Amino acid sequence: LPAAGLSLRLCSTRVAPEGVNRPVIERVIRVDHAGEYGANRIYAGQMAVLGRSSVGPIIQQMWNQEKDHLKKFNELMVAYRVRPTVLLPFWNVAGFVLGAGSALLGKKGAMACTVAVEESISDHYNSQIRTLVEEDPEKYKELLEIIKQFRDDEREHHDIGLEHDAEAAPAYSVLKTAIQLGCKAAIFLSERI
Amino acid sequence: VRCQLSPQQRPLQASAVLRRVSDEQKEPLASSSQQQFDSHPTDHQPEQEPQGPRPSYTGQGGQESEDYESEEQLQHRILTAALEFVPEHGWTAEAIAEGAKTLGLSVAAAGMFHSDGSELILHFVSQCNTKLSELLEQEQKLVQLGEAEKKPTDQFLRDAVEARLRMLIPYIEKWPQALSILLLPHNIPSSLNLLTSMIDDIWHYAGDQSTDFNWYTRRAVLTGIYNTTELVMMQDSSPDFEETWRFLENRVADAMNMGNTANQVQSTGEAVVQGLMGAAVTVSNAEISRAVR
Repeated sequence: LPAAGLSLRLCSTRVAPEGVNRPVIERVIRVDHAGEYGANRIYAGQMAVLGRSSVGPIIQQMWNQEKDHLKKFNELMVAYRVRPTVLLPFWNVAGFVLGAGSALLGKKGAMACTVAVEESISDHYNSQIRTLVEEDPEKYKELLEIIKQFRDDEREHHDIGLEHDAEAAPAYSVLKTAIQLGCKAAIFLSERI
Repeated sequence: VRCQLSPQQRPLQASAVLRRVSDEQKEPLASSSQQQFDSHPTDHQPEQEPQGPRPSYTGQGGQESEDYESEEQLQHRILTAALEFVPEHGWTAEAIAEGAKTLGLSVAAAGMFHSDGSELILHFVSQCNTKLSELLEQEQKLVQLGEAEKKPTDQFLRDAVEARLRMLIPYIEKWPQALSILLLPHNIPSSLNLLTSMIDDIWHYAGDQSTDFNWYTRRAVLTGIYNTTELVMMQDSSPDFEETWRFLENRVADAMNMGNTANQVQSTGEAVVQGLMGAAVTVSNAEISRAVR
């Protein structure tokens, strides 16, 4: 009898919390954690440049909300025993540079960056919500509530950005497209690595 | 009671052919690595015709009727029985064949597995890891109930690694052979997977809650400690492997120091940067006030 091709399923010792689809959950939490971490760094970069300007308080307020989001995902990461993305140190620097760079283009530049990033994030959360609802809305109820709440917060940031003349920023559409492309790449990588 | 197999409906073609006649002996549960199964250990009417669909491998829930043994469960049983013969025969098809014999199966059962004994070794490692997890889980419960003291991290790591390595002692003569087989390219994904999940388990029970790059650093360091200690153990001839445990203690202490040193370097670095910033600000203020005068 052929021995090749018979592989024993070696059980990992990690016990899944009651029938959760681990691969899906791991990706969701890892990428969302990375996203909130990056958003934190972006706002930090913007504050470093524009902290003492008129938009400083607004940016600070949005940053505080992102800090809460990150805290929540830190908790979820520990609870579900998910590993963080290896790229965290990279997002640390890249986020700060993006924030500071967009802020150097002026207040409107910073707002444009906010609009672009927040739009990407809300779309991303929406597609996660769809995925989880398709899987099993009951099983993932807690997670779904959290993601929905966060999506609403990000939408609000997006609207604040628009209110503060993001669209009047220099090269708005180019900037927006470039940033959103970067976000897509970041999401793709953080899910996997 | 002896039963005959009837030719129709043989879901387990391989094992059915190999099975001569099986007795109704009480078999202990093959391995505790069946965490994803909630079905019971093989019941002892295995020769009754299993009705229903033919599962070759259990799905996520392992839901089958209780008097039915899947191929995978059978393999687990054979491998567990084979472990008894490893000290004599090594991690080989001979050991598997002997194991199969004790279960009342034909020695040709060993043909189900690779000839280099890979599955036997991987099965053993998986079993050890599961035992370790159970041990750590129990310890954690005791601490939660207040019946035991929470150990400091370095002692926790030392004890966990020692407990895991002690499981190798009955097989220590043949373990170097096993290590080299685990490094074969076709085994590396599985052996790496088992190693990383074991290390992650130890850190989890040690209370690691890092969500940044430390997650990786800690696991990398512990993996290094585990692997080097394992190698030392292979060459240790001291009574009860004292040398190994001393080596382990030193490596864990080194790792703790490394952590402290890293923190110190960072705080020193930060202090230096702040000092320089302060100096820069002072100088620029001085320049400004000079320019204003």
